[in-house]
Amino acid sequence: MAHDLIPADVRSRLKDLRLTARRAIGAQGIGVHHSRSRGAGLEFAQYRAYEPGDELRQIDWKLYARSDRFFVREAERESPLTVWIVLDATASMAQRDGARGTRFDAARSLAACVAELALRQGDRFGLLVLHGEGVRLVAPGNGARQRDQLLLALHGLRADGAFPVQDRLGPVFERIGAGDLVLVLSDWFDDATSALVERLAAARREVLAIQLLTAEERDFSYTGGHRFRDPETGEELLGDAAALRADYLRRFADAQRMLDARLDAAGIRHARHYTDQPLDLPLRRLFGARDAAEYA
Amino acid sequence: MSLAFLLPAGLAALAALLLPLLLHLARRHEQTPTDFAALRWLRQKPKPRHRIRFDEWPLLLLRLLLLALLALWLARPVLSGLDDDRPWQVVVPGVDAGLARTQATDPRTRLHWLAPGFPSLDAPAPTDTPAIGSLLRQLDAELPPGVALTVVVPSTLQGADAERPTLSRDVAWNIVDGAMPATNAAPPSPLALVVRHAAGDERGLRYLRAAARAWQPANATDAPLQVGTPDAPLPAPTHPLVWQVPGPVPSTVMQWIAAGGTALLDSDATLDGIAMTSVAWCDADGTPLVEAAAYGRGRVMRFTRPLRPDAMPLLVDADFPHQLRALFDPPADAPSRVSAADYAPVGGGASYPVAPRDLQPWLALLIALLALIERWMATRRTRSVAP
Repeated sequence: MAHDLIPADVRSRLKDLRLTARRAIGAQGIGVHHSRSRGAGLEFAQYRAYEPGDELRQIDWKLYARSDRFFVREAERESPLTVWIVLDATASMAQRDGARGTRFDAARSLAACVAELALRQGDRFGLLVLHGEGVRLVAPGNGARQRDQLLLALHGLRADGAFPVQDRLGPVFERIGAGDLVLVLSDWFDDATSALVERLAAARREVLAIQLLTAEERDFSYTGGHRFRDPETGEELLGDAAALRADYLRRFADAQRMLDARLDAAGIRHARHYTDQPLDLPLRRLFGARDAAEYA
Repeated sequence: MSLAFLLPAGLAALAALLLPLLLHLARRHEQTPTDFAALRWLRQKPKPRHRIRFDEWPLLLLRLLLLALLALWLARPVLSGLDDDRPWQVVVPGVDAGLARTQATDPRTRLHWLAPGFPSLDAPAPTDTPAIGSLLRQLDAELPPGVALTVVVPSTLQGADAERPTLSRDVAWNIVDGAMPATNAAPPSPLALVVRHAAGDERGLRYLRAAARAWQPANATDAPLQVGTPDAPLPAPTHPLVWQVPGPVPSTVMQWIAAGGTALLDSDATLDGIAMTSVAWCDADGTPLVEAAAYGRGRVMRFTRPLRPDAMPLLVDADFPHQLRALFDPPADAPSRVSAADYAPVGGGASYPVAPRDLQPWLALLIALLALIERWMATRRTRSVAP
């Protein structure tokens, strides 16, 4: 695995991408997202009475001259966003795709891309890794230091084990705040992933889903006899690829359609990424030009 | 047209067809272990179909074909019924070729000389005298039953044998003017006996001398008989030698015989290493009088009894000179000149099945070609590794 998770060409194409949220953000700080909070900013929101603790420089002195009372001029603040990268690190993510590396490599690169975008926008970003031993967490923060911390965590990860049981998913609901942007990188083969994001979406978290698939899962380009093995359950299936292909492709397409319908029903924006395609493509689909124009 | 096998057991080699089938059978135990996360969509099939599959169909078919042809080749296939039914016209040498051509009414007629090998009429006329009857019988046996045969003959034939040819088909016997040249029979050469006898023993000589004189024409005076002792030089091998010396035959005489001479030995003469193989002359009771054997290029004969009337009563018989002469004379030529009209073949002879065409050479050619193609297909660079 390359030292830099983001290929150079992808990094150059990231420049015109922005993470966008659909809802106004309530968080404190300075960012690029619409905000429900009032504070220092360009767009005037309201005057309010001075309260002890307000900075003196926020007082509108011209109004004080007219009214002999302290007023604080408030503007709509452009808030930072908290982006949670939820990374599925179960064994199925370790699916190798020929010489291109594994699905998990692509997921890590995507996570690094998102971190890079968030860093540029001044958004806070954190990492949640779901793997066999439970949930691993990199608490959200911003700045280059946070990015490096996240990259360090990504480097040490290995995809292993099955999806964590419900009891271990506590941190997901405890740490992800309402209104946070949650980007889930998974293969969505496990029903538990869908159930988890449905719960998150129902709890007013803005969930984005990226399904990562290998080219072989899409095309089933195997030939000859194979002993197929499920990395999560260890089940094996002896079969001839040519004989299995047609049925597999049909069922797999059905499964993807059902997943799309499920995510759509939960109001979750979703994109599909094949490992033989450029990394920024799913991000472009999720944070398309229409949304990005608002932020320009 | 029908195909037959002269050696049907060769078809057992068809069992070898199993070899390429086994070679090309997709080997199922070579299951590549593959991690596949989307297995749940794969395994809903009840069970993988157990279907026999083969790799590289074109090469397999070619190999099967090659082996099948080899088995066919071993079974020695012949093809019968491919007979050419164009009429034949054979021309006996002695008939003008141009004249013979005008005799052919059917333009499809095949024109040949009646000569060994049946050369085409376009070839120059054969010069030697053909054995007409024998060639006609051969031709009749070789031609398929339905083929019409026309024979153009000159009015006088040379080379006929003693029997009118009995053929299986009705032959058009076209007699045209002309005569075949008569072969000059060599006149019988006067036979000069050379007698060598032991000194002092002239008992048998008188009979030999009498016989030799009897061979002569009536007005001849000198007897064609050279008499000498064993030391006298031997004559040329064309003259028969009568060796009336008892005891072992000297090696000079043996060499003379081996060089092509004919010798008649005394009953007491002994030969080393030569066993008499045939009886050249026997009397009315069937008792052998003279035995004979071949030696080298010549012939050696021996009386079984001494030349005395008491031992061999035939000595005084009037027939003795003829019988003695017959020992030395070559067999006389049978008369072979006949009027063509009297030598017309008669029908009703036995017919023979036509020899079917042997397909082995053609099959061998095809097999070699297929083997080349197979090697090319099996060794070309784009081919995969297995099988």
